[in-house]
Amino acid sequence: MSHDDHHGVMIPAPGPEFVAHEVAHHFSTPVQEFQAGKLGFWLFLATEILLFGGLFAAYFYFHEVFPETFRVGGQQLDWRLGALNTSVLLLSSWTMAMGVRSAQTSQKSKTMIYLVLTVLGALGFMVIKFIEYSAKNEHGLIVFSELFSGYDEVTGQVAWFKDYHGVMKDVAHGHMFFAIYLTMTAIHGLHVIIGAIAIIYVLYGTSKGRYHAGYYLPVDLAGLYWHLVDLIWIFLFPLLYLVP
Amino acid sequence: MTTNTPAVDVQTTQPKAPRENYLNCTTSFKSWALTLDHKRIGLMYLIGTSLAFLAGGVFALLVRLHLWEPEGMLFSNPTYNQIFTLHGAFMVFLFVIPAIPGSLGNIVMPLMVGAKDVALPKLNLLSFYLWVIGAVMAVAAIVMGGFDTGWTFYAPYSLYTDQAVVTIGLAIFVLGFSSIFTGLNFIVTVHKLRAPGMTWFRMPLFVWAIYATAILQVLATPVLGITVLLVAFERLYNVGIFDPRLGGDPVLFEHFFWFYSHPAVYIMVLPAFGIISELVTVHSRKPLFGYKLIAFSSIAIAIISFLVWGHHMFTSGQSTYAMFAFSFLTFFVAIPTAIKEFSWVATVWKGSVALNSPMLYTLAFLIIFAIGGLTGVILGALNVDLHLHDTYFVVAHFHYVMMGSIALAFFAGLHHWWPKMFGIMYNEFQAKIACALIFIGFNATFLPQFVMGSRGMPRRYATYVPEYADYHKASTIGAMILGTGVALMVFYLVASLFIRKKAKQNQWGGVTLDWMCPTPPPHLNFDEEPQVVHEVYDYTTLDYETLQRDCD
Amino acid sequence: MSDHTSTGDGHAPGELDMGHHHVSSPAMFLSVLLALLFLTFITVVVAQFDFGSANMLIAMGIASIKASLVIAFFMHLKYDTAINKLVFMSSFLFLSLLFIFTLGDLFTRRLDHELHTTKSPVDLEWSHPSTLDGDH
Repeated sequence: MSHDDHHGVMIPAPGPEFVAHEVAHHFSTPVQEFQAGKLGFWLFLATEILLFGGLFAAYFYFHEVFPETFRVGGQQLDWRLGALNTSVLLLSSWTMAMGVRSAQTSQKSKTMIYLVLTVLGALGFMVIKFIEYSAKNEHGLIVFSELFSGYDEVTGQVAWFKDYHGVMKDVAHGHMFFAIYLTMTAIHGLHVIIGAIAIIYVLYGTSKGRYHAGYYLPVDLAGLYWHLVDLIWIFLFPLLYLVP
Repeated sequence: MTTNTPAVDVQTTQPKAPRENYLNCTTSFKSWALTLDHKRIGLMYLIGTSLAFLAGGVFALLVRLHLWEPEGMLFSNPTYNQIFTLHGAFMVFLFVIPAIPGSLGNIVMPLMVGAKDVALPKLNLLSFYLWVIGAVMAVAAIVMGGFDTGWTFYAPYSLYTDQAVVTIGLAIFVLGFSSIFTGLNFIVTVHKLRAPGMTWFRMPLFVWAIYATAILQVLATPVLGITVLLVAFERLYNVGIFDPRLGGDPVLFEHFFWFYSHPAVYIMVLPAFGIISELVTVHSRKPLFGYKLIAFSSIAIAIISFLVWGHHMFTSGQSTYAMFAFSFLTFFVAIPTAIKEFSWVATVWKGSVALNSPMLYTLAFLIIFAIGGLTGVILGALNVDLHLHDTYFVVAHFHYVMMGSIALAFFAGLHHWWPKMFGIMYNEFQAKIACALIFIGFNATFLPQFVMGSRGMPRRYATYVPEYADYHKASTIGAMILGTGVALMVFYLVASLFIRKKAKQNQWGGVTLDWMCPTPPPHLNFDEEPQVVHEVYDYTTLDYETLQRDCD
Repeated sequence: MSDHTSTGDGHAPGELDMGHHHVSSPAMFLSVLLALLFLTFITVVVAQFDFGSANMLIAMGIASIKASLVIAFFMHLKYDTAINKLVFMSSFLFLSLLFIFTLGDLFTRRLDHELHTTKSPVDLEWSHPSTLDGDH
């Protein structure tokens, strides 16, 4: 008996441009497979919330300890670019939601258009982020070339932060706000890239006709991941750009 | 899907032909390395985690040997720091956390709920390989010069030491995701793949325990992930969050670390509780006393465990008010835990107890865990802990739980399901000798540590004042006995694979679904989908014929 | 197992009912998007004024409303199964434990200082060394 002998239930393709889906052998019904996939992914999203939660806890902690550092530091960020990026992500979340809807209703070409738009949104977000990072680099707030150069043990000044005597001269540990800004946005940016890769993967599957009203689980999951990326940014934007 | 029916025919017409099972249905290396079968993945976990346990055990013996003399016998002080760190890190992250869910959980839990596999078999394989990657990285960290921070990686020392902290930190990040994916998989399996008729309150208690564990794995582990990442970031680009020189707060590290690591204690111990719950009923052939209480107490422990982490930090400099709250809340964990202990004892009471080797390990657990649990309550009391913090009393307490309870429950489960997994029996006589050696050796090792701890012997010291020498010598002798017992156990278990003495179809007389499927189970576990009609642990349904019949 | 195949065949394309396949209308998605963009505008406008310590509360309040919209409608959680709702919401519940205890520790460390200066055990008569001596 080889493992390949066990065939699952087939979900027929709704049209010639689609392919049928075979339910994995250990599931009895398509509903069971769909619900197992969804529950698993919601659990995964819960872990993402707690992973970012650690960073948010650190933010609130040091916002409390160094309020002035966070206030002056926040003023160095350009809230216009932050608001623009928020809008870009919200729009891409909408195109993603519409993409999932198109897959649910077996509209292949519409699905592809919406997914391409979402990937473009991800790209736009990263371009704007890059512009912001470059500005911080220029102003000596985050000098990327010296990111791994350590710090002075006597003064407690880190090498990648050159502004201890500039705009941040009056506050304690001026690098602290930018360290948290960099860590939070970099990890978020990594999620944007992973999300974009996931969307490109389901885009490919859509072009092959794999997803339709009978089976669209991967599109749904990529969408959930993308909305999570949006969700985290919804909190990051006011915390980093507006409140301090 | 039609191939199952002929398989049954072959068995009835030609009883001599070996029945096809998950071990022999395919044999190529690839069919093992890329298997999606939960039982094969479980076996690979069993091999991997057992190797980690033996490595951690060797480190432990080295630590004990070194402490034979007050000034230390074997190592320089920095090397000693590395050895006890390796012992802790290997045992906690590579053995105790993944061992029971990864091996016995993987093999037995889907059988118990009557499923063909776990819900997400590819993720299951991924989580095994993440474990392997984490293990390789941990070994790489040793090669790169080792690490001497203790398994807790406390800041700021972990930020300043010149050793391979980043590598082992990332290894723990990877191992964390291995653990998360295992837990996630098990939650989905329990929710979505239960056989018809397998209601929540017909689930064996091992499944309940694994389910409660999985909740903790999913909700707590991500915070450990971000914590070790932040430690790595501190070392790479000086974030400053934990580094007091840069304005950071090491106490915040401890909060993050123990937000995970206290629930992690229950990630380790809940599966052990589950094994014991199964074994006391099967080997007493008596329904469990307080089934629902034990089921709910697992969930209660899981939730309360998130509220008590600060009791590890009574001397860290957190606020007095936080310490009051954490100490107060800690006592609540004792309630569901005591419910379990009482229920187990009440199950054995007036049962038809068979002193098989799994039951001997179980009884050893019941004694040792009573001590381990009660000393935990002592340590949870704020004022007492201020005296006992960072002494051998703490070391003894958590070894009574980690080694004496969890490892013994793991051994018990291993002996219990060994005939199920392989269809063969080990030498029962040798098993009983090994159990006695382990029980005696364990207590000889750690009882003296309670005494010297309460008299002020601090933990993690490479040398000590001569007043403690007798306690240390007793402890080292105990460790040798314990090591001998474990070595004997490894010997007869491995030997049984070559001697191949056939086990019975239902070796111990279990009535849960794991004993209803053929032994060893076929690739898809059940020849036909099981229909559950009886309540759990109903021994009136036991088919005595299966106790006599050799397995297939 | 062959009966499962018929289960699959029973689902004709287009009329699949797999439990909770809610297909939202484009109009609904569009109105959610407009609401989100509007709230972003509001939060930026509000940030131009200083409400003191209420700044954080206002910004987090608006962000929470936005997040709820994304979760409920874009992520379909409003139409999802009870267990999926429970799973995702419990992540916020357990996260709040991390926040409450960690920040609670930080906030009460100040009070700690008062505790030690005003009620140090040596200041209290019952634990004064002389009373202890009297016990012997």
